[in-house]
Amino acid sequence: MSAIELLEGPLWQISLGIFVVFGLWRLFVILTTGRTPVQARPVGSVGLGAARAIVGHFVPRRAFFGQGRVWFVTIAGYAFHLGLFALLFFAAPHVAFLRDHILGFDWPVLPRWGFIVAAQFAFAGLLALWVRRFVDPVVRLITRPDDHIATGLTFLVMLSGCTALGEQSAVLRGIHLGTVEAWLIYFPFSSLMHTFTWPLSRGFTGALAGRRGTRM
Amino acid sequence: MAASRTQALQGCATWSRLTMHVICLLAMLFVMGITHQLQAQGTAPPYPFDAGPENTLGNQSDSDIWRMIRQGADGLPSSSEVVDGVLINANGVGWSELRRAEGPLIWYGGLGLAAVIAAVVLFFVIRGRLRIDGGRSGKTVARFSLVQRVVHWIIACLFLLLGVTGLLLLFGRPLLIPIIGKSAYSVFATASMQAHNLFGPIFIVSFIALFFSFVRGNLPSLCDLQWITRAGGMFGGHASAGRYNAGEKAWFWTATLAGITLSASGILLSFPDALGTHDLLHWAELSHAIAAFVFIGFGIGHIYLGTIGTEGTIEGMVNGCVDENWARTHHDLWLADMKSREKGADG
Repeated sequence: MSAIELLEGPLWQISLGIFVVFGLWRLFVILTTGRTPVQARPVGSVGLGAARAIVGHFVPRRAFFGQGRVWFVTIAGYAFHLGLFALLFFAAPHVAFLRDHILGFDWPVLPRWGFIVAAQFAFAGLLALWVRRFVDPVVRLITRPDDHIATGLTFLVMLSGCTALGEQSAVLRGIHLGTVEAWLIYFPFSSLMHTFTWPLSRGFTGALAGRRGTRM
Repeated sequence: MAASRTQALQGCATWSRLTMHVICLLAMLFVMGITHQLQAQGTAPPYPFDAGPENTLGNQSDSDIWRMIRQGADGLPSSSEVVDGVLINANGVGWSELRRAEGPLIWYGGLGLAAVIAAVVLFFVIRGRLRIDGGRSGKTVARFSLVQRVVHWIIACLFLLLGVTGLLLLFGRPLLIPIIGKSAYSVFATASMQAHNLFGPIFIVSFIALFFSFVRGNLPSLCDLQWITRAGGMFGGHASAGRYNAGEKAWFWTATLAGITLSASGILLSFPDALGTHDLLHWAELSHAIAAFVFIGFGIGHIYLGTIGTEGTIEGMVNGCVDENWARTHHDLWLADMKSREKGADG
């Protein structure tokens, strides 16, 4: 079995298995852990508080509109996440891979220029946010090694993907697949899980505030 | 009698030659008239008139034609791929000589970068690390904003990514192929080209942000002359400076010019089909390479002085603050200005 066959076959299945099983396990644990019961009589709506926090946090709070650093984080965050989403689900090689290896069907893909622009937005956003973890004293203090590993792995996945853009070299494709598999294995045990847990954490905090009759 | 006969014969011969010349002249005029008529109708033959019909050389030799092609003569090519009707761009041969693996661009460029590295090592060996006069004070003063630091480090990351991939593409043939072989190098080259093209536009946007973040304080001033005459205090003595010294200003403006050149030529190289002429591409590639050498060369010096070369400098770009004694050593006029502003704000 060649290296590329190994990466496309058993290693891909193992890493995908770890990603799915442990990701679901972590979500299951979060949802079933429960919390200490609150004895106080609810003042406001729990559901409305949760919904308000989930939706409202997509834009900065009005009180911080005048602060440049808030817009910096917001714009860089959107550039990275939307760019990565477009790359993951609308890049022609990815759609073909998902069709052949997982789903069995495909959907319209981005033109090549759209793919390049999405990659540039994603890279610019990721670089800006990662650099900020080093140079902003407050963010540096709350950054854990896991954050750097998760960001670094994501960067490597994107970098190896962009170097394989020519689709001419099996070696480059193999390197990209290898980094993707490492990323999938690391995913459920790291802060990368915020991909799935962000509505839960926002909703939980918003629900608490809503119950007390306050807003987040 | 005989003489008169000879004279009559000569007269006949002269008349017959004259008649022949007139017939030839008329024939030529007739053919030229037809050709002119054909050209006017847009159905001129696709070869020069004196070249003869198709698939013949006419009055030109094979070597003449190839010499003309080699020297870049234009004509009527049958292929639409041939730019400007020129089969071989003579300037391209010169460019190829300049750009080839053992050519002057790679040779002198590599030599220049090696000289910069050697100079930095030599300076470190002779001068050592530039220390803070009087040691650290323990008090800090704000030097770079968060925006300046973020933009600076983004450019630094892109500088490394673009620099490494660009140098791999330029020096790969003479340096890497003998070591790792053509097949392995092709992987590096493909990866480098894709990454270089992808990060280029991000560099342009970041570079514009960098320029506007740092241009304030980088305009030339009179105290720069004093700083230059004292060699920046690098070999003893003190050289006063404002927010940025003359060396930093030289780096800023060199980087700006190199950045503009790299960006403009990079855009041209990204859309080669839009230019329509290869000569412009050669100039774009040449200026891209020279600007890159300048940028990387100055960049090596900047990295050295900003990290191990000068005590306490990197703190300004990481934390945003520098030690007061560092500021007094390297930027005393700026520190005095900051202090007076603080007093003004307090008062």
